[in-house]
Amino acid sequence: MMISFSAALRRAVLPALFVCTVTTPVTYGATSELDALRSSFKGMQEQLQKALQRIEQLEKEKTATSSRVERVEKSVKSSAGAASALNPAIGVVIDTTAEHRSTVGGTFNFRAAELGLAASIDPYARGYAIITGSREGVEVEEAAMVTTSLPWNLQARGGRFFADFGRLAKFHPHEYAFVNSPLSLERIVGGESKADGVELSYLFSTPFFLRATLGGYNKIGAENERLDDSKSRSWSRFTYLARLNTYADLTDNHNLELGTSMAYTPSVRLVDIGGSTRNLVGLDLTYRYQPLGRTTDQSVTWGNELFVNSERRAKTYDDGRVVGRRRNAFGGYSYAEWQFNRNWATGFLFDYAPSIDSPGKKTKGYSPFLTWSPSEFNRLRFQFTHLSDMVREEKAERGNQVFLQWTTVLGSHTHGFRTR
Amino acid sequence: MLALLGAGSYGNATAQSIRVIATVPDLADIAKQIGKELVVVESLTKGVEFMHSVPVKPSFVPKLNRANILIEMGLALEHSWLPALLEVANNPRILEGQPGNIDCSNGVTVLEVPTKIDRAEGDVHPKGNPHYNLDPLNGKIIARNIADGLSRNFPQHKATFEKNLAAYLGELDKAIARWQGSAGPLKGVKFVSYHGDWTYFANRYGLQQVGTIEVKPGIEPTPNHLVSLVQRMQQEKAQVIIYGPQSDRYPRQLAGQTGASIVRLQTNAGATAETDSYIKFIDSNLRSLLSALKKG
Repeated sequence: MMISFSAALRRAVLPALFVCTVTTPVTYGATSELDALRSSFKGMQEQLQKALQRIEQLEKEKTATSSRVERVEKSVKSSAGAASALNPAIGVVIDTTAEHRSTVGGTFNFRAAELGLAASIDPYARGYAIITGSREGVEVEEAAMVTTSLPWNLQARGGRFFADFGRLAKFHPHEYAFVNSPLSLERIVGGESKADGVELSYLFSTPFFLRATLGGYNKIGAENERLDDSKSRSWSRFTYLARLNTYADLTDNHNLELGTSMAYTPSVRLVDIGGSTRNLVGLDLTYRYQPLGRTTDQSVTWGNELFVNSERRAKTYDDGRVVGRRRNAFGGYSYAEWQFNRNWATGFLFDYAPSIDSPGKKTKGYSPFLTWSPSEFNRLRFQFTHLSDMVREEKAERGNQVFLQWTTVLGSHTHGFRTR
Repeated sequence: MLALLGAGSYGNATAQSIRVIATVPDLADIAKQIGKELVVVESLTKGVEFMHSVPVKPSFVPKLNRANILIEMGLALEHSWLPALLEVANNPRILEGQPGNIDCSNGVTVLEVPTKIDRAEGDVHPKGNPHYNLDPLNGKIIARNIADGLSRNFPQHKATFEKNLAAYLGELDKAIARWQGSAGPLKGVKFVSYHGDWTYFANRYGLQQVGTIEVKPGIEPTPNHLVSLVQRMQQEKAQVIIYGPQSDRYPRQLAGQTGASIVRLQTNAGATAETDSYIKFIDSNLRSLLSALKKG
């Protein structure tokens, strides 16, 4: 740009100087000399005028060109982003443990390689999918659509997702503060609240946070084997959910969150004992200390959940008779995690897990843990677990156990609202 | 029950006011200056938080739900907490790119835009350094963005917003001229900061950054890093260590080893009563830094 500009300047100004030097010597005689000078001066003036106009024009062109260049640069930048911009955000979580259980021995447990994808669908919805590969194979854990602009404070979700039951049931296991799912959650809810179905949430217009969810699903629970997801059935055999969730700031640094959930199945049919209703109720209470000026290196979370499961369960007697009886199983967990600097956290999990078939028999778990995060995306955790087991169903669920867990995140990973 | 709850929150005296939510107190203050009596402004954060680890509090959700306008810093400064809240706030008009969303980084000359976006470089800001509010000249761009955003949504009040903007810019210009004078001694001063958030400020007042306590953005220092940082500080004769909402453990350790003075500065307004406005906040940072240098 600069070269052509100065060249143009030379083109305009040099002829003016040339006129000036060339015309002067050819005049002779006083009057004619004066006339010649006048005319040459006039000529110079005209030429200078032209040169100035030309400079002005070039200046204008220069500004126009540079703003054109800026525009082109901008569009190049945006089109360079356009190809990947339409791709969803992609992340992979790798979660592994080296573990030893006094009853069954040790293993390197490849727990999960979890591929997460998320993007807006259109102005009205967004979508996400979480596909997990583990020792058990590859599975679509979640793949769901969520509306973003329904009126009346409503939000709908559909597909396969973790139903809005309780708190920890909506976490993927690598998001826990400790290594394993509490046994109480595993036995009573069936692990994560994985469900195929549809959900509608409503945000109340209260000055404080109050949110309700209603849902309908085939069933709830990743390990719920009461019925087969792939079979059609009468509407009485679906599971219906209601949840109410609220939150209060006690002070700037202390807060409390409370939720209550109920999942009702009008008819659960089990072999030999026929149908019954199933009621699964949950109560979750979370206290957090988050000192605002120190959130990078100080926090305490105290998480508690109680679960009650009520349904008819089969009991097989020694003589081979199978009898169905309503069983009310009550269990839960409580854990506290203390983050004491930017990289380190420690805590303790107490777990109280009944057998849902014979609620009198319990397993109690005690697990201290220590977590080191060299960065936000890389985490090592050591955990010791002692399980005092009276249920005697699974050998792996008793005795002393140690775990060393290594969890990393590749690519995009943001914490959504549910795993805050 | 539903109807009662619904009626409770609306229909109060502020029903006519424009409800503005800002992510940080700096933006809330400037929005108040421009909206004056037409707006009710609230900031979600208090100015003391480390912006990359603001707790996702459900109490922010009803505020976002009812906002007419959301004002944010942009450049992904709020990316670790704001999207999670907007997910459940059910307010499509304030989502990114929508008319009710004012991104104050529009038109800012962004510094430290990474040429390589790789987590081996730490928790990089893919869009560049988002702490542009620390350069008071960017305060003028913020004010202009807020006035434009308010006028876009409420064109009937455009004249008022423009008038208030002109008054605020006048006030800010006076302060900028004053700061330019008082910041004279900062020229050429070499400093170390905890996190790389002081670039805009340093550029404006001619300070030179020698290094950061963090190895890379968001990565705590290793013993080796601290040893080499001490060497560099001694070679370069770094005079001051700046930290913010982080622990003072490493700043104190480095100060002990190098003789540099330490000073805790704020990256956002609102943290204390003396910094309850954007202008007072820049004032306070400059004062603290100058007095730390005198002591050193």
